Amino acid sequence: MAEKKMTFEQAMDNLEQIVAGIEGGETSLEESIEKYAEGTELIKQCRAILDAAEKKIRLLARDEAGGLKVAGELEDDSADAPPA
Amino acid sequence: MCPEWSTFFDEPPAADAPDAQPSDQTPLSVSALVASVKHALNEAFPRRVTVVGELSNFKHHSSGHMYFRLKDTGAAMDAAMFRARAAKLKFAPADGLEVVVEGRVDVYETRGQLQLYVERMTPRGAGALELAFRQLCDKLRAEGLFDPAAKKPIPRVPRAVGVITSPTGAALRDIRRTLQGRWPAARVYLLGTLVQGESAAEDVARALSLLDASASGLGIETIILSRGGGSLEDLWAFNEEVLARAIFACATPVISGVGHETDVTIADMVADCRAATPTAAAARAVPDAAELHQHLAALGTGLHRAVAERVRSGRKALDGVLRSAVFRDPASRLRAQMQRADELSHRMASALRGRLATAARRLSPASNRLAGLHPARLCERARASLDRTARRMAWALGDRSKRAGDRLTNLAIRMRTGHPAHRVVLARQRLAGLARQLEAMSYRSVLARGFSVTRKRRAILQSAGDVQAGDLLHTELADGTVDSRVTGAADGPGSKPPSSAGEEGHGPPTGPEEKKTVRKRRRRPGGPTLFDV
Repeated sequence: MAEKKMTFEQAMDNLEQIVAGIEGGETSLEESIEKYAEGTELIKQCRAILDAAEKKIRLLARDEAGGLKVAGELEDDSADAPPA
Repeated sequence: MCPEWSTFFDEPPAADAPDAQPSDQTPLSVSALVASVKHALNEAFPRRVTVVGELSNFKHHSSGHMYFRLKDTGAAMDAAMFRARAAKLKFAPADGLEVVVEGRVDVYETRGQLQLYVERMTPRGAGALELAFRQLCDKLRAEGLFDPAAKKPIPRVPRAVGVITSPTGAALRDIRRTLQGRWPAARVYLLGTLVQGESAAEDVARALSLLDASASGLGIETIILSRGGGSLEDLWAFNEEVLARAIFACATPVISGVGHETDVTIADMVADCRAATPTAAAARAVPDAAELHQHLAALGTGLHRAVAERVRSGRKALDGVLRSAVFRDPASRLRAQMQRADELSHRMASALRGRLATAARRLSPASNRLAGLHPARLCERARASLDRTARRMAWALGDRSKRAGDRLTNLAIRMRTGHPAHRVVLARQRLAGLARQLEAMSYRSVLARGFSVTRKRRAILQSAGDVQAGDLLHTELADGTVDSRVTGAADGPGSKPPSSAGEEGHGPPTGPEEKKTVRKRRRRPGGPTLFDV
């Protein structure tokens, strides 16, 4: 999850660039088609990140050493479903 | 009016004389008097009084007690606020501040002084909290805790978010719903705290520093500090100095969302980002997936459309090309080109020929001249020239040498002829010649008459005594010569007896007195000639 998170913004940026490049007409026809494939793949990855869901809240509490530890979870008492 | 008081209002005795005797009351002691006054005061003011006045002579004693005077234009009284209550004051009382105090009025017996024992004090006009708020704002602003440059940027897509708020409050529900709704992919950590009351500020401050310390380990990139709406007192913990400093010291970016839109706390001012509400704070912490989904969809459509457009325009261009004359009748261009090629080829050939002819014309004389300058020819000519020169030189040399030789010869000849001996020889020759001529002329006629000339050894024999027997004689006649040997000779017209055989070579002289020089004749092969002398 961490790797995808790190590239989400980069993926979006790349995607923007690809579309802008093809629309602008700077790319050759072959390049356009290649970039299209790349762009489609990026969209797929971004969608996957967006759809990933962490359902719970992790509770923290003080530990013996004076730091923090995860001490449980808060159940989801929210009746609202996340928007699609 | 209390009965006891009435005695104070009785008319004084009529006697006005200053030294008139006092009433026949028993004199009170001071203590008794003061005690009575105190008692009466307590009776009159059994409960707390609320008084408004101006602070002056304010002293905050090291013991924690506050001593001051409360005054207005007409009167003043001493007041005190003891440590227990004084410590609870949110603001800092100071001279000149108009305050509303609540307390008990009493007599400080030892001094017989009227005292107000203040239990509560609030600034008049602004509340205590408002004043405290203003005072802390000024102080922290001056220290730079609100400085925009010190605020850290909020990460756009955090992996995890830390939340500090009450675990039971409405704020958490709002935050959770918002986070789930917008960006469910982010992990959420909750560290619950008190959010109001005396110790709340310290509790939140400590929670913040703990969370900050653990943030990198948990992947927390943003902290949300929040509580729901309330009064200024409810929210007061978020205006306290200890929390403000904890927020400023926090390395992780902090978003504060405290109270309602209109509530602005000091925590809000110190935080890296202020949100109006807990919901707004959560919204600020994460992006909206729904929005991004749409954006992605738009990008996808855009991508698709852009490529389709490129393909379409490419196809159109291709169609255009296919419809063109080149494709419809490829040969036509070819024919035209072929014809043109032929034409050009023809022109080129003739042009080339012309150029060649011109060039040849130019070349010919040059070529001839060049041939003339051919090294072989040059060599030849040079050689010929050299030969000629050599011949001339040789001739000149030969000539010269011949001439020189001639000259030399001439010179030699001249030199010889110039030589004295030679001249003598020449002279002799001349002479001989002359002599012979003469001789020839002289005796030939004689010879013709029958005389002969006899010679002995060339000398003409004139005398018989010149010969001896045996001498060889040579006689010249007119028509020839005779050689003979003497058999005898005699003087006179008679002859002498012949002498011994003649000798050649020397002939002794005949007599000392008749010395005749007889030339000796040497015999030459071939015989003597005319030139012999």
